[in-house]
Amino acid sequence: MRKKELKLVVTFHTTADAMAMEKTCKEHEVNGRLIPVPRAISAGCGLAWCADLTDRDSVLDIMDQVGIEHEELHECMV
Amino acid sequence: MNLSDSKKKLALAGVVCGIVAAVLAATGNPANMAICIACFVRDTAGALKFHSAAAVQYARPEIVGIVLGAFAISLATKEYRSTGGSSPMIRFVLGMIIMIGSLAFLGCPLRMVLRMSAGDLNAWVALIGFAAGVATGAFFLKKGFSLGRAHETNAASGTVLPILMVGILILSVCTTLLAASEPGAGPGALHAPILISLIGGLIFGAFAQKSRMCFAGSIRDIILVKSFDLISVIVGLFAVMLIYNIATGGFHLGFSGQPIAHSAHLWNILGMYAVGFAAVLAGGCPLRQLVLAGQGSSDSAVTVLGLFVGAAVSHNFGLAGAAASAATADKAASAGGVSTAGQIAVVICIVVCFIIALTNKRKMAK
Repeated sequence: MRKKELKLVVTFHTTADAMAMEKTCKEHEVNGRLIPVPRAISAGCGLAWCADLTDRDSVLDIMDQVGIEHEELHECMV
Repeated sequence: MNLSDSKKKLALAGVVCGIVAAVLAATGNPANMAICIACFVRDTAGALKFHSAAAVQYARPEIVGIVLGAFAISLATKEYRSTGGSSPMIRFVLGMIIMIGSLAFLGCPLRMVLRMSAGDLNAWVALIGFAAGVATGAFFLKKGFSLGRAHETNAASGTVLPILMVGILILSVCTTLLAASEPGAGPGALHAPILISLIGGLIFGAFAQKSRMCFAGSIRDIILVKSFDLISVIVGLFAVMLIYNIATGGFHLGFSGQPIAHSAHLWNILGMYAVGFAAVLAGGCPLRQLVLAGQGSSDSAVTVLGLFVGAAVSHNFGLAGAAASAATADKAASAGGVSTAGQIAVVICIVVCFIIALTNKRKMAK
């Protein structure tokens, strides 16, 4: 089993925003992946963007550039 | 206890829910139905006289319990959030579609899994349609489908459905206002004692809230992010019910002779296709909608109202599937199935799902 690591987890207001994030990050070669929102963060069941803590700036930059609004930023074990 | 930090714990939540379903089945709920959300919302709609199908009228305490169980646990864990405003009328229509499709097949995704665990091959056929419906919904999510974001509302707003549920329970226990199927009339007359039903519902609702159990979401997550977390919950539930059915002699592998089921394969597939598709667009299966409504989502509460109206429409206009039945002294055997009106309704439901999926796109934040 993969060992859990401390990661940056970005949640969104809608699943569509999360899907848009995935598409944008692929296009702009920003590291990270889509994951179900960790249960510790939310009782909802949407999707979140998971990235290394070191990629925080590039993740925030790209969201700002293309107009994807995040709900919350978390650092948690994923 | 954190029930969600490993697949094993999630499966354990499914096992608890499976045990609840088994107890309810053993203490009087209809065979292979146990705690079917669509069936029990339909029965409750009948009790409230939204429809007058005499065989399916009973205010099911399980439905009340699931909403209140999710409400109580979310209050206790400070996860209660009163939200609303994400295309409520579209969600209402999706709720209707979910119910019309479910009643064509004769069961929601939860009952589909319960029927699968009893060897009902019709349910395994329906799973093809359900998974295809979820995949279609997931395709549109990838293409940017969105019903828009929900916003925080006054805390009281999210309490309306739980309070209405308490009202239904009080009316059913303390008055004779609500309709109830006469003994022998049909599945509505078969039920566990009220207290067991209510406690079972409360436990089911609480564990479903903690584990985020969702039949549509579990397949959606496999397709979109290759996550098998949510399906672990379903596997736990399935395993318990499989053991229960085998131990009690309720397991019969085959298409015919299954309780409250029919073998109109095309309509089982298309009915559950509509359910899977609509459930992904609405963000959850009927069980999940009850749980989300319990934890404060007015959008899910509106979807639940859609389920009630969908049940009324299904029975008032003869859209619901008819169960196959063996010959008796008074009646010839019947293959059951879905009426022409029901077939047309299912096709309309699928078309409406496509229209909703194509016309609701994500808006840019700026």
